[in-house]
Amino acid sequence: MATIVDIKEEKALEVKNFEFTYAGADEPNIKKLTMPIAKHNITALIGPSGCGKTTLLRSFNRMHDLYPANRYSGEIIFKDRNILTKNEDLIKLRTQIGMIFQKPTAFPMSIFDNVAYGLRLQGVKNKTELQGRVKKALQDAAIWQEVKDRLGHDANGLSGGQQQRLCIARAIAVEPEVLLFDEPTSALDPISTAGIEELIVGLKERVSIIIVTHNMQQAARVSDYTGFMYLGELVELGRTEELFVTPKERLTEEYITGKFG
Amino acid sequence: MTHTQKRVITSSIVMALSTLSAVIGIGFLLWILSILIINGVDALSTTIFLEEGAPPGNENGGLKHALIGQLMLVGYASVFGVPLGILAGTYLSEYGLKSKLSEIIRDISDIMMSAPSIVIGAFVYAIVVAPSGQFSGWAGSIALMIIMLPIILRTTDDMLQLVPSTLREAAFALGAPKYKVIIQVVYRGAKAGILTGVLLGVARVAGETAPLLFTSFNDNFLNTDMSQPMASLTVTMYNYATSPYEDWQKLGWAAAFILSMFILTLNVLGRLFLLKRKGK
Amino acid sequence: MNSLIDKVFANTTKLIAISVLLLVAWIFGVLFEHSLKSIEAFGFSFLTETKWAPNLEKFGALPAIYGSVVSTFLAMILAVPIAIGVAIFLSEIAHAKIKTPIGVSIELLAAIPSVIYGMWGLFYFVPIIRDIFGGVGISMLTAGVVLSIMILPFMAAVTRDAMNTTPDILKESAYALGGTKWDIIKDIIIPYAKAGIIGSFILALGRAIGETMAVTFVMGNVHKISTDLTQPATSIPVTLANEFAEADTELYFSSLFELSLLLLIISFTIISIAKFYFLRRKRIGQ
Repeated sequence: MATIVDIKEEKALEVKNFEFTYAGADEPNIKKLTMPIAKHNITALIGPSGCGKTTLLRSFNRMHDLYPANRYSGEIIFKDRNILTKNEDLIKLRTQIGMIFQKPTAFPMSIFDNVAYGLRLQGVKNKTELQGRVKKALQDAAIWQEVKDRLGHDANGLSGGQQQRLCIARAIAVEPEVLLFDEPTSALDPISTAGIEELIVGLKERVSIIIVTHNMQQAARVSDYTGFMYLGELVELGRTEELFVTPKERLTEEYITGKFG
Repeated sequence: MTHTQKRVITSSIVMALSTLSAVIGIGFLLWILSILIINGVDALSTTIFLEEGAPPGNENGGLKHALIGQLMLVGYASVFGVPLGILAGTYLSEYGLKSKLSEIIRDISDIMMSAPSIVIGAFVYAIVVAPSGQFSGWAGSIALMIIMLPIILRTTDDMLQLVPSTLREAAFALGAPKYKVIIQVVYRGAKAGILTGVLLGVARVAGETAPLLFTSFNDNFLNTDMSQPMASLTVTMYNYATSPYEDWQKLGWAAAFILSMFILTLNVLGRLFLLKRKGK
Repeated sequence: MNSLIDKVFANTTKLIAISVLLLVAWIFGVLFEHSLKSIEAFGFSFLTETKWAPNLEKFGALPAIYGSVVSTFLAMILAVPIAIGVAIFLSEIAHAKIKTPIGVSIELLAAIPSVIYGMWGLFYFVPIIRDIFGGVGISMLTAGVVLSIMILPFMAAVTRDAMNTTPDILKESAYALGGTKWDIIKDIIIPYAKAGIIGSFILALGRAIGETMAVTFVMGNVHKISTDLTQPATSIPVTLANEFAEADTELYFSSLFELSLLLLIISFTIISIAKFYFLRRKRIGQ
């Protein structure tokens, strides 16, 4: 059984006995996993490739439902309900739990329209309101100064780091309660990476954050809690400063000291 | 109704309409296919393969003349078109990969692949039929060869480019001259792909009718002399189908069925070769 | 010895490759040369004259041009929405289990010779048009419908391919913001794949306008301009298919060659627009 630290804070999400099997696979990719996620904290998920960390992350906003025949069981509790049920309103869920991907995904439209996209989907039509909320989101994503004079330009003209901040602005514009980051800096240079990390840390006052990363230093720099996953199971969840210094599980220790991975 | 509800409903409606149009489109195509199969199978008999054309009303009419004519027309077109296309494609990929000349040849070939085939018929009429004073099998084969050439050229070009350059380098490192590297290593590496291109090229011209109408013309009897007008399945199909005679129309469906099966087989084979290539 | 063979091999391939270009130039040249008599006799009025009367040696191409444009236009109007529907169905709706078989079948149907679509049109579709609209059933409308069905598989397959170029991660990003399928199609896929989709349509248009056999059976080869779509009509390829082997005077031949040249130029232009403007092939090394 996994060693799971006692979480004092309120919980944003709770995974209970979650099992996930990809379409066509015999073996589950995630096995009977239980894990709490603290509210207004940053939880990092680390582990070798194939350990199931991205699969788990994509379960929080039911991304797997876009593809047929994936099977899952167990519960993920969010706002006092299990979000894995059939009648879960996925559209609403996805506005409450936002996601940032491993590559910047600027939509083929202007910078303004990118950030306004989620708002418009929710029916915000008022121009002044849109402008205000887009500006706020861009400011919060620390990119307003760079783009304020070219909001009408194609978003694909921005650099990779700028695009990723634009995607963060787009995600926070709809004011989600949880943000999922799937290796958000893996396609970026070190300077852009530092900027994004700083931004992520600044966001936790408003949202609960889960970040999947293959970079242990990154997990150590940004997160409050770290979960180490191996072969579809959670091995250890601890406060980040403790997990990296005094891991409770031998497997965790071997991984963070680079014995495998 | 909230905005989101509206979006959900709009989406369901559009998805239903898309599915409906898919059903309509696929339905029409299935209709044509089933008609082809029903009429074709109904008209098939051994006589068709053993007998030549006969006057309308004669029970013993067959398609032997058109089958043999078709094979000769496509065969000669391939005998010349395939090697020429492969060699030209070889130049593009192996010698002039990034040159301006190669780019122009690629562009023009791409356009020619979609150009109206009847115009090729008019061209061959002007350079072969008119000077020689008669329709001929050769004229038909030349027209088909011209249509086939850009297809083979472009697939060869594409397929050779997929051969990893390390393979070429390894062969060069052993001191092999370039032509040997190409023939013994590059061609071998791209074998399945080239074969696919050839099959698709042959399949494409085998179904051509328009460029044969005034080149190889037609003949209701067996003729194997390429300097004479020659029957083909496609032109026979056209003539028989537009005739007022029921037995001729029936033979037309038989010809359509045989030709379609031939072309579909070539296409399926081509795909299988390509799959095998990918599987490796 | 090896270096000699090397040179011969290299130059042979080069010569053949270049001869492909020369061949195309030759085609244009020969068609132009054979059109000269007609060009001299009619000049520009060849394109605007409505009378096509071989017995009077009067040749005006307008009815054929009109027929080509209208039948192709009809075919496009009918085929484009259905092709988009099929493409959306194949790329976004269909379950993986039926996606591949249906997709492959559609690609195979695109390989069925057009003469078979024409035959189907003559025997099965002409009677329907006759029953509904009266007359002989051989008409501009019939030609447009048969043409639309003939280009549908090609158009649907290339439209689907264009739509499939949209990266999954981009679509997922929009779903992650709470988008519906249709939101993703209209806001992400269509803007992203716009060039490819339009290019596919134009390419299909280029093919349709030069298509001969699917329409020859059902159009009637009547050189008359009529706004009534249920009347027989003709198009450039239909005229060529019906009259080339029967032409008996030099001017008649020359007029047919001018029609061929015209068709080649029109097709070349349309296909070039599709290829160079919308479907720019990635240059090697890029």
